[in-house]
Amino acid sequence: MDRTNPQAPPDLYGRPQADPFMRRLTAFGDRYTPALGSRGLRRNPRLPAPRALPALVLVVTGHRPVAEDVVELRLADPSGGVLPGWQPGAHLRLTLPSGRERHYSLCGDPADRTSYRIAVRRLADGGGGSREIHDELHLGVRLTVRRPRNGFPFCGEQRLLLLAGGIGVTPLLPIAREAQRRGLDWHLVYAGRTLATMPFVEELRALAPERVTLLVGRIPSGAELLESARPGSAVYCCGPAPMLAAVQRALDESPAGTLHFERFAAAPITDGKPFTVQLGADGPTLDVPADRSALDVLREARPDLPYSCHQGFCGTCRLHVLSGTPEHRDRRLTSEERADGALLPCVSRAAEGDRLVLDI
Amino acid sequence: MPGTGSAPEVHDNLVLEPRDVRFDWSRLPLHWIPDEPFATHTINVLHLLLPEGERWFVRVFKEALPLITDEQLREEVLGFIGQEAIHAQAHEEVLEHLLAQGLDPRPYVRQLEWLFQRVLGERPGLSARARRENVIERVAFVAAIEHFTAFLGNWALNSPGLDRAQADPTMLDLLRWHGAEEVEHRSVAYDLMVHLDPGYLRRIRGMVVSGPLLVRLWVRGVRFLLAADPTLRGRVRPSWRAARAAALRGMLPDPVQSLRSGLRYLKPGYHPTQEGSSAQALSYLATSPAARAAVTR
Ligand code: FES
Ligand SMILES: [Fe+2]
Ligand SMILES: [Fe+2]
Repeated sequence: MDRTNPQAPPDLYGRPQADPFMRRLTAFGDRYTPALGSRGLRRNPRLPAPRALPALVLVVTGHRPVAEDVVELRLADPSGGVLPGWQPGAHLRLTLPSGRERHYSLCGDPADRTSYRIAVRRLADGGGGSREIHDELHLGVRLTVRRPRNGFPFCGEQRLLLLAGGIGVTPLLPIAREAQRRGLDWHLVYAGRTLATMPFVEELRALAPERVTLLVGRIPSGAELLESARPGSAVYCCGPAPMLAAVQRALDESPAGTLHFERFAAAPITDGKPFTVQLGADGPTLDVPADRSALDVLREARPDLPYSCHQGFCGTCRLHVLSGTPEHRDRRLTSEERADGALLPCVSRAAEGDRLVLDI
Repeated sequence: MPGTGSAPEVHDNLVLEPRDVRFDWSRLPLHWIPDEPFATHTINVLHLLLPEGERWFVRVFKEALPLITDEQLREEVLGFIGQEAIHAQAHEEVLEHLLAQGLDPRPYVRQLEWLFQRVLGERPGLSARARRENVIERVAFVAAIEHFTAFLGNWALNSPGLDRAQADPTMLDLLRWHGAEEVEHRSVAYDLMVHLDPGYLRRIRGMVVSGPLLVRLWVRGVRFLLAADPTLRGRVRPSWRAARAAALRGMLPDPVQSLRSGLRYLKPGYHPTQEGSSAQALSYLATSPAARAAVTR
């Protein structure tokens, strides 16, 4: 839009004149905007400055095996204080002593405000976070923990089918407990490799043995998992990605109409190659390794860069390419926008060793 | 919709993320509430207002990002931005469909572009302090408007009248998916405003400026659409009486209730979580055909 054009837009009904309402709005805006910041139209300087809630520093007060390769951890305030509350489905983000960050679902009782409980499976091929927790988080170790956040909220539908795969049982445990407390009609199907690797079986059975079904030793199909769904059932699913995908595919054929699952923002990067990005024509150059997104790397240099979906569909992270040939992997930009230099760095990359000069 | 009677109305510390929805408009009739052109076009005003309006939300919130000092609030704002960007896109597609059916929305949209880009847009040449004040003021406008979007979203989720009238199911899903995300993120703009300026005056100004403006834009939009509808030739005239009658039949939110809701925003102890139910909204989002289809992409 031409900002210098003082003309308000034309009338809605084809009369050859600027719209009077638009003219009045424009005149109002032209006075209001510059007046902001003057007395009475500004933030009262005596009011407190924007505050940030600090992260928690917690101490390990419990560390015990609860199944093969699974430890249960309890975390508490070092001085025994009350912890921030949470609701079923919530998770914590731990910053381990090595600096690694990991998310774990809370699996204790929300009514217990003196400690948080999580359960961690040792992953042989993970990034080492679970190994560190298993082997190094002894009693008394302190770590930084972000306050509970909830990406798997429980909505209390009357009829519930909870589907747990392996360690995915953790967020479903408080959900089952809450469902039982409220007297809802719930059923939990819990799949695992062997009984010995499945934590919390006894705890679940203690809630209501007839409501818990174990599927041990094989990978159930989506249809099998959804077998006990009834019209109006709300399904809550937490488990390995293939299990969730199978349930999603089978859902349309089942009487259940509602599927809740925990959403993980960034999908892993498939066949990415390392390349470089340059911040402005004479700015610094940063390396983007094969397993990270350009957005991630850029955010280290520019923490205020906006982004949202991490998946190349919302357009929030859009940047302008000054030179270089991007490899577009988004599903948002039109070919004109791409030709125009638009880039979504949360997913899009460049060929191996190439450099993208970005307008930041 | 599954019953959620026993769930808490408020969910704390929700992780917000956009959903990659798609809608197929190829079979949408022009009057998607059959034989109800007035109610249809009153709701259609959303498709006029939202693409420009929500893109403006996105710009305002992006400008506000550097002012945020709390990590959780920042993440919520980022989630909000992505959701609003998708909302804008989804409603924009309906506009294209209207145009294809011979109803040209462009004169009205041109005015909104002017409003949101020129009148309420970023201004060059302001001092750093004035710029900051401008960002906070516009956040306060957004917070007040978000009170209404949550009100309307809550209405859309509880509007059996639209089902009774056999409104187009895809349009109902658009309204309810969007409405549910509005309820889901209803606190974000307000919390951001309070974070940047906890003063009561700012909140009041946000509503006093944007409330009446919104009403005025809506009324103008209804008039415009009814006049621009090629099948009506100006036969249907808008009136408050018609709006109340349609509301009584459950096809529109009641204007008087909407006004009352706007006044509640001025109460000193107000917080957006007092209105609407997160449980209901989140449950709908797990049911919505468009949101569920997004999952398998
Ligand atoms: S963050 Fe959504 S497109 Fe990049
Ligand atoms: Fe929206
Ligand atoms: Fe919104």
